[in-house]
Amino acid sequence: MDSKKPVKLSRRNVIKMGVIGTATLSLGVVSFKVAGSKSTPAKASTKGEQIGFIYDQTKCVACRVCQAACKEANNWEEGVEWRRVLTSESKANAFLSISCNHCENPACATVCPVGAYTKRDKDGIVIQNPDKCIGCKYCMYACPYHAPQFSEKTGRISKCHFCYERQDRGEKPACVENCPTGALNFGKISVLRETEGAVATLPGMPDSSITNPSWVIIPKE
Amino acid sequence: MHWHWLIIIYLFLGGLGAGAYLTSFAAEKGWLGKNSSLTKVGYYIAPPIVAIGTVLLVFDLGQGLTKPWLLVGLLTNPKSVMTWGVYILSLFIIVGFLKAFFTFRKKSCSNILTVAGAVLALATGAYTGLLIAVVDAVPFWATGVMPVLFVVSALSTGLSITSLLAMLVEKENFNEGKEGVAHIWLIAAELVVVAVFIGIMISGVNGPIGKESAELLVSGVYSVVFWGYFIGLGLLFPLFAFTFNHWKSKKPAVKQKKRHSLLTIVSDVLVIVGGFALRALVILAAIPVWESLTF
Repeated sequence: MDSKKPVKLSRRNVIKMGVIGTATLSLGVVSFKVAGSKSTPAKASTKGEQIGFIYDQTKCVACRVCQAACKEANNWEEGVEWRRVLTSESKANAFLSISCNHCENPACATVCPVGAYTKRDKDGIVIQNPDKCIGCKYCMYACPYHAPQFSEKTGRISKCHFCYERQDRGEKPACVENCPTGALNFGKISVLRETEGAVATLPGMPDSSITNPSWVIIPKE
Repeated sequence: MHWHWLIIIYLFLGGLGAGAYLTSFAAEKGWLGKNSSLTKVGYYIAPPIVAIGTVLLVFDLGQGLTKPWLLVGLLTNPKSVMTWGVYILSLFIIVGFLKAFFTFRKKSCSNILTVAGAVLALATGAYTGLLIAVVDAVPFWATGVMPVLFVVSALSTGLSITSLLAMLVEKENFNEGKEGVAHIWLIAAELVVVAVFIGIMISGVNGPIGKESAELLVSGVYSVVFWGYFIGLGLLFPLFAFTFNHWKSKKPAVKQKKRHSLLTIVSDVLVIVGGFALRALVILAAIPVWESLTF
């Protein structure tokens, strides 16, 4: 007879149960997410090897094909440049092709409040998901290299992702693939750093201790 | 492309609201003298001020009006100071409104709630500085002095807005306590912190770009705002005015005279103007290292 005890299915009770259910569920999801995010950095250090760009200033002629190839391959949003070719102020005919350096300690990923950035375990590529971006521009300020850029048109940030989809298919990044002089290349950063004449940064460039960028430059004498 | 007025107003209002709460908190605890008139107003204005600032921020986001549902994501990166801010400000607004409600209804409210509000207010003030202090790529911001400067300014502006509104609300019943002395200490402290901050930047400890930013204030395009509005009108004038009033009130002959003089009102307004100028200067003079990559 006890089982017959009526449970009043009043509106109030239904709402109450709904609220409790939702609260429990969201609590679970949130704690799961927090736990998940905590475990990522530990994994990153054990799996795979960081890759990076190598840029040879002695070979670059500033033809900007790397830029054009990147734009074509990645459909830049209006007003953003995933890759830029800068001109030296101190040396004649010295340039710098620069994009995202897929840093060891990416400041963008640290500051992004919505967690739009992920650093891949297998190769250390820093990928930003523009669909998560709320357009606060915090990452734009935090990155010393101006890799994440804001489009006024779309109201969001986007940046170089090292053509990770191409790389997953076994292809080279579009910029490297199309560089006619071989000034731009990529590979495992530990190997690239062994290259003769290679340096980690150029005088006047941002302090590399901020983010520990995965790039190597062969400077022009 | 850069952060602009909405961010400046947001940082200013965050500090102002936090300071207002802490002013009433201090008054309630009796730190501003007996029968202080500042025990309520700060509680009433703090949550709406911070809430308005937060709403304004949404307008500044690239996706704030187009895809607002993405804002839920703001809670998801525990490493981001901005995420901390979202939690701190949300909690402060909620606790602040509860405290305001209890105060308004003249109901006694648990001390835990009041203290929690004070802790959150302090966190709110510190957060507005910490948000930018962690950005190493902007040398002008990247110093531990920044949150200290913002907290001191928050307390100072919060005390001023609370005093001003309390004068309006309480009218004849307004009773000035120790806020004059509190003003003097806060402004003096702010002057010291500003000197340390500018000193760090000008000395070049934070690199040439930090120095360049500081020079924009000291001798560049923002020198009128810096020396005139912030240092002169926002700090020195109120410092002298409050000191003068304090000295005068010590004299027995005029002790019973009307206390909230025009000088006090003007000074309070100027403190608030100065606080706003500070936020504007810090944001507008910021130069990211990437803006002119030279090699």
